Amino acid sequence: MSIPGFGGGDTSTFRPEDSIQVEIPGFSEWRFEVPHKTILKFKIIDGIGEIFGTELPLNVELQLTGVKYAIYAPLSNGCKLEYTTLQNKAVITNEDEEISEYLSNETQAQTTYINLHLGLETIRQETRDSNILNPKDLKQGPKVLIIGNPGSGKTSLAKTLVGYANKMDSRPILVNLNPRDGVFCLPGSISATPISDTLDVESTNGYGFTTTTGSMNHNPKQPIIKNYGFSDINQNLDLYKYQISKLGVTVLSRLEEDLSIRNSGIVIDTPPLSIKDFTIIENIVSDFEVDIIVIMGNERLLIDLKKKFKHKLSQLQIIKVPISGGVAEVDEGFIRRSQEETIKEYFNGNHKTRLSPFKTDIDAKDLIIYKAVLASDIASTLAFLPSADSYAADEDENSEVKSKTDDSLTKYYSLLTEPSSSNLDNSIMAITQLPQTNNSGKDLLNTSIKGYVHVSKYEDEKHKMKILLPFAGAFPKHVLISTNIGFNE
Amino acid sequence: MSGGRKTELLEDYAQSLNELTFNSGPIIENLTTIARENSDVADGIIDTISHRISTAPAEQKLYTLYLLDSICKTVGNPYNILVEDHLANLFTQVYQHSNDQTKKKLVSVLQNWKITKAKGTTLPLFGRSVLSEIEAYLAKSGVKPPPTPATKMIEDINGLIRIFDSKFREIPDPKTKDRLQALHNLRSLLLSGSVQPGDLPTIQSTLNDMSNQINSSQSTPQPNAGYKAETIFHNLIESGLVKVDRDPIPGSKPVYSLQFPKIKYIKPSAIKTPSSSGSSSSTSSILQDILNSNLHNSLHITEFEKVKFEGLVTISNQIANSDLQSFINTNKPTSTELNLLYEAKSSKCSICGKRFTTDSEGSTKKRLHLDWHFRVNKKVSTNKSNVQSRNWYLDDFEWVKFQDDELLEFSTKGDNSSSGSNSTNKTINDNDSKLLDIVANNQYVKVPPRSSNMKNTCNVCHLPVQAVYNDDSGDWVWLKCMKVPGEGKNSRKIVHVDCFNETNKRTPEAELPKSRVKRERV
Repeated sequence: MSIPGFGGGDTSTFRPEDSIQVEIPGFSEWRFEVPHKTILKFKIIDGIGEIFGTELPLNVELQLTGVKYAIYAPLSNGCKLEYTTLQNKAVITNEDEEISEYLSNETQAQTTYINLHLGLETIRQETRDSNILNPKDLKQGPKVLIIGNPGSGKTSLAKTLVGYANKMDSRPILVNLNPRDGVFCLPGSISATPISDTLDVESTNGYGFTTTTGSMNHNPKQPIIKNYGFSDINQNLDLYKYQISKLGVTVLSRLEEDLSIRNSGIVIDTPPLSIKDFTIIENIVSDFEVDIIVIMGNERLLIDLKKKFKHKLSQLQIIKVPISGGVAEVDEGFIRRSQEETIKEYFNGNHKTRLSPFKTDIDAKDLIIYKAVLASDIASTLAFLPSADSYAADEDENSEVKSKTDDSLTKYYSLLTEPSSSNLDNSIMAITQLPQTNNSGKDLLNTSIKGYVHVSKYEDEKHKMKILLPFAGAFPKHVLISTNIGFNE
Repeated sequence: MSGGRKTELLEDYAQSLNELTFNSGPIIENLTTIARENSDVADGIIDTISHRISTAPAEQKLYTLYLLDSICKTVGNPYNILVEDHLANLFTQVYQHSNDQTKKKLVSVLQNWKITKAKGTTLPLFGRSVLSEIEAYLAKSGVKPPPTPATKMIEDINGLIRIFDSKFREIPDPKTKDRLQALHNLRSLLLSGSVQPGDLPTIQSTLNDMSNQINSSQSTPQPNAGYKAETIFHNLIESGLVKVDRDPIPGSKPVYSLQFPKIKYIKPSAIKTPSSSGSSSSTSSILQDILNSNLHNSLHITEFEKVKFEGLVTISNQIANSDLQSFINTNKPTSTELNLLYEAKSSKCSICGKRFTTDSEGSTKKRLHLDWHFRVNKKVSTNKSNVQSRNWYLDDFEWVKFQDDELLEFSTKGDNSSSGSNSTNKTINDNDSKLLDIVANNQYVKVPPRSSNMKNTCNVCHLPVQAVYNDDSGDWVWLKCMKVPGEGKNSRKIVHVDCFNETNKRTPEAELPKSRVKRERV
């Protein structure tokens, strides 16, 4: 008998006779890699297990696909789970079908992450107390920047820190500055999201949903999103830095407004950065008023950064944590696949939450579409000129007014004067918050993202576009930004 | 005075008394004057008044009593002496026939008599025995004598003494000591009953001034709660956690500022305990005192927050002993520390694994949480078409002002489906949305008269709409639809009412040219 409201129902997929049991000893973790073409169904049947700081429910079936995760048993009595695998028929790739999995007791890194969390929570508590007793001189919680090499576990640490913080009633803002990953948004954007509830480990990338028109099994999150348009930060570093500073202004304003967020601070996840990218690190530190830098197991980077930030060390702590032995390598194909899953989930939802996107044809004639400029394109334009000096001189003498108005934008965005199938087919466009009536370059740079559309086909003769909108309704008359993120339905 | 004139005067007086059917100041004044000028017929006048009191309608008896009161107070001798014998009788007569409101007034008249002196003398207006007789009567009929001003004052003084006492312990200031002594003296004076009743108002106002002064200079006006908090606060000052800035003028308001974070980063060995205080309490024990004290109860500290605070204070001390880096490298999380993340909130949701405390606040939250799971599951299982899609993201300004509580299951803004949407959307309550449904179901568009094509499509969702015959109006209509705003009378462009509302809700700013508000942080 199934009672409405208590779910139940579909238990047939989990057949105990096929399932494999795993016993994770205390303070050990079970590391596993599930390819996109395979679905891992599992449930914790005893003890406590968590994925990157998010505790899993007991005796509830969960499913994961296309992940390289670890389930950690944080208490001495360990954790028991059973799992089974299925084929994910929706995905055809040439990856291996098998999952790989093993137990590991090398979890010293995990212990230091808990210590780091406890240290941060102490600062949050001090901030909270100080703000109660001294409401005229409000302080801010710890603003933490995580830096490290590729595959050093930055994102896992960021998730763990916000997950633990949430369990202790703090509400930090998770900032993602890696445009490769869409965190509560699509790849090609950077975002900031207050973590007011647990993350949803089953969703793509393990973050969860943003607000929808219906009710979901997890409380949604509400991010602020800035467009960048590329996966790689070097494709237009100026635009990237510009958007970081704009995101910083907005995030710090939110801290001013919201006491619980102010007390809890910020956790910033980043793309792989090294000492060569010091200007970016310096920008982030000042844009978000960072007071703690956490370096993922790179002694050299620690020493270099301490040297470079010598003058700031009174307000800025730089600390190092070890890299977890469980970090998995991800190749380009896997990243690409995950990006596609993120896009799919934005429009269609996942196995637990079905969303209803809306396909429609729109007239492209009246649209205003911008595109982020590739830094290499600017460089090549300059190369054609006799010399950079005379280029600047020309500008100064002949068209000062023009250069003043355009200069603010040309480095970052250019107007897509001839939209066509060749430059728009199968791409993601960001809808900005800027109405078409407002066509100022400055406002375009300062705006944030309202949502995304997918262009599946541009009909060159009719100037019509087949698009996928997140929901049924009129297409907003806002300025659009065409991104370099492609997607094939 | 001749007997005839006397009778005449008393008849006139009785006549005038009959006009006293309402609380009239002039009549009472006039009759009082007559009584003063004709004190030789005082017994006659009193008889007339007594007669009036016994014969007047119930609600008018009080006004005659007021007259009697007025005569006794302003004229005095011989009226107050003559009336004394009848007073108890008259008073009870009026009292018996009165409603509750009048009874209250009578009680206050009696209170007044108790402290009034006869005109031109230091003797009381009426003898104590008469007043006691009336009081005994009132007590029998269930009226408690209100505390006399004196007993109330003694209570006030006790309160003040408590405050001054704790204040004196905090700052042994000679001025406070003097006041304390004065209050003690005053209390014993009042208790002995040797204070002149006329002096009471003056004393009362002095006391009021004193307590006002205290309340304004003290953050804890409740003397009882104040005591413990004051002591702990004093300890805090001694420990150097709270800094006191005070002008060297007696009675000036001290300014307290917290020194809390600084102390934490000083190694314990470096903390100097002020030798004068003799207190060697460590930082953490004082902080724990605060936690256990009334001061923090008033801030609604839950059990979990207490446990968390205690755990974090220990960690804070460890970090202070070395630094954050070595704490991270060397700390072996104790089971207490780990439990902060797990068993300290021991009630785990069986559906999603979220943890709650077991105290009343946690149970309430868990109940709301489970209700929310139930609602969501019900929606999904009974209503297969739980059609939903992403909302637009907020813009910078909306996001900065957004409250994440609106996203949570504890949200007071109703169901997540409405609260999860843009904060700019007004949450529609149940009644309103039902009303909107009715409106949507009854709305239709007539097929233009010269048109024979019954098929049409919604301009928003592009689903076909087939016309039906409406019996009431005798027209062919497209149900649940409306014309696209701004279209002509015979236009065939229609939208579903639902689609229109949905679109409108989502892009309110699309229609309005947005002002270019600058959203830079100042």
